[in-house]
Amino acid sequence: MKRRDFVKKTAALAAGSVVLPYILPSGSLFAQTNAPLAEHVVYVLFGGGLRQQDSILQRYLSDSQNFNVAGNILYNMLEGAPPASKIAYGTTPAGQPDGIQPIPKILSQTLQKQGTIFAEMRAISGGHYGGLNSLITGSRVEGQGLKVRPVNPTVFEYARRFGGYKATDTWFIGNTIGNSVPLLNSSKHPDFGLTYGANFFAPNITFGSDGYAALSNAKIYHPQEELEPMYKMKNFLDNSFNIKKGDMPGIRNTDDERTKIKEFIASTFQRQAAGQLPMPPISGGDGSTIGYAAEVLRVFKPKLLVVNMSNIDGCHGNFTGYLQAMHRADHAIGFLWNYIQSIPQMSGKTIMCFVPECGRNLQHNPILDQNDWYGYDHGDANSLRVFGGMVGPNVQSNLMVGSESNPIGVVTDFNLTIAEILGYKSDVQSAGFIDPNAKSLFDRI
Amino acid sequence: MRIFKFLLISCFLFSFVQCKKDRNTRYEIVETPSYGDNLNKDKDKTNIEFHSILSTNLFQKPSSINELTRTDRVIQSCGDKTLINEVIISNYMNSSQVILPSRKRMVDSTERFVEETYVRFFIRRPTEAEKTWFINFINANKSNPSFRPELVYTAFSASDEYMFY
Repeated sequence: MKRRDFVKKTAALAAGSVVLPYILPSGSLFAQTNAPLAEHVVYVLFGGGLRQQDSILQRYLSDSQNFNVAGNILYNMLEGAPPASKIAYGTTPAGQPDGIQPIPKILSQTLQKQGTIFAEMRAISGGHYGGLNSLITGSRVEGQGLKVRPVNPTVFEYARRFGGYKATDTWFIGNTIGNSVPLLNSSKHPDFGLTYGANFFAPNITFGSDGYAALSNAKIYHPQEELEPMYKMKNFLDNSFNIKKGDMPGIRNTDDERTKIKEFIASTFQRQAAGQLPMPPISGGDGSTIGYAAEVLRVFKPKLLVVNMSNIDGCHGNFTGYLQAMHRADHAIGFLWNYIQSIPQMSGKTIMCFVPECGRNLQHNPILDQNDWYGYDHGDANSLRVFGGMVGPNVQSNLMVGSESNPIGVVTDFNLTIAEILGYKSDVQSAGFIDPNAKSLFDRI
Repeated sequence: MRIFKFLLISCFLFSFVQCKKDRNTRYEIVETPSYGDNLNKDKDKTNIEFHSILSTNLFQKPSSINELTRTDRVIQSCGDKTLINEVIISNYMNSSQVILPSRKRMVDSTERFVEETYVRFFIRRPTEAEKTWFINFINANKSNPSFRPELVYTAFSASDEYMFY
C-alpha cells in the first residue's frame, strides 16, 4: 500500500469511528447535548383554562362568587386544606346535593411535596388553540391560524429528530378531534413536519362507539404468513408511487410499529370489554382520556407522552361543573402519577410536567349556573396567569418557585425543560424556533 | 302560351329539387386505452371520498352517509392515517358481504387478476415492471395457503396511490 493510500484510509476510518456511533435511528447526526435527567417524560396539558385564584391560590368561592369560603380542591397536586363549607366540587351520590362528596385523596404525598411548583407563570395566549400551540411548540405562535398544523416544530419533532426516537416512542393523547387538537402531533415546518410527528389517539373517538363500529371487528393477521407479504406488496406499491414529503396525510410508523399499534387497538377493545383498562377510580371525560394515556404508557413505555385535558372549560357557563372538573382532573393526574410508578420500566425514570394552556378572566360573565354562581371566560390579562410544575428524578422536591407578586417562568419553558430532561436542549435552542424568553425550568430555579 | 311558359319554368325549377341518395358515412373507432398513469395523481382524497370509493370497491355498493361520517371521525382520531385505514380495511374484510375474487382465480389467471386489480383500485393498467413483479410475487407465494386475494386487495387499498386521485 502506498503511503498516500494508507494515510487516506486511516483518516477515513478514524472519521468513521468518530461519527458512526452518533448516527441515530432517525438518520440524524445529532447526538445528546447534555446528560439526560430522566428516560421518560409525561407532559400533562392540565387544560381548559384554569383560573389562578380558584386553583393554586386556593380561594375557592371567595375570589369568584363573593362567598367567604376558601380552600384547596386540588389536594393531590397542592398542599392545603380543602374548603370547610359550600362543598360542590365533588361527586354526586344518588339523592344527594350536586357535588357534595369530595373525591378521596389518591396520592400519599402531594405533587408539590414530591416535586417543584412554579406558582405564578405567564401563558402566551388567553385562548385554547394558541395556548396549546405554545405549550406544544414552545414558541410564541405569532402568525398561527386555526385548523392548520403549528408553524413551528413541536416537542415531538424535537424529540424524534434530536433524540432519535421512533414514532411509537412519542405519543399525543388528545381529548377531542375538535379545536384542531389532532393537528398538534406535528408541525408543518419543512425541516421537521410529519416525518418526525408523534402518534396520536383521541381515545374517546378511537375507542368510543365510533371506533368500536369501525375498528373492533378488525382481523388480526398472522405477522409472518399474512402481514409480511401484505406489507411487501404495499411497500412495492408505495415505492412505485413516490409520495412527496409535503403530501403525507399523517405520520408514518415502521411495519413493526404498525403491527404493534394494531395489536394495541385490538387488545384495548378486549380489555375495555373486560373492564381491565387502567382508569382512575372516578373516571369519565378527562379521567377517561388519562386512563387511555395510562394504557399507552403500559404498552409502549414511550419516551415522551403528552396528554390533553379540557373539561375545566365548562366554566364559561357552569362554575359548579368547572369546580368538579378541576377536582376530577386533580384526581386523574394523581392516578396517572401513581400508575407511572407501577410500570417497572418507567418507575423512578419518569418526570411528569403539568401546566394549563391558559387561565381565566378576572371578572365573571353574566351566566349563572344551578347554584347561582357566575361563569368565567378567558382572554384578559388574568387569563395569562397560570401555575405549572414537575415531579420525578432530578427534580427538587418540596420546592415552590415564584409567587403572586413574583412571577417566574413562561409556559414556553416546558419545551426546553423537556429537551433538557431528555438530553438535547442545545439542539432545540440552536434550531431557533423557541420563544426567545423561554428557559429550561431547571435554569429558572 | 303563358301556361306553357309557366309549366316549362316550373319543370326547370323542379329539376333542382330531387331525391338524393343517402350518404352512409361511417366513423371508425380507434380503440385507445383511457387509463392514465400515476404521475398526475396529486390530490389526496378526503376521508369520506376514500371510504366511499373503498366500500364501493369491496362491497360493490356505496356506504351510507352515517357510516362514512363515523369512519371520518375515527380516521381523524388517529395520527397514522395509513395505519388506521388498514385497520378499517381489515374490519371490512371481516364482513360476510365483502366481494373478493377466489384464490383459484388469482393463482390460475394471475396476469389477468393483476391487471384487473390495478384497474379496480388505481384506475390504470400496471406497467410491465409492475405486472411482472406482482406475477412473480404471487407465484412465489402460491405455496403459502394464507396468501389470498384479500391480502392483495388490502395492500392496494392501503397503498399511498389509492389515497390520491
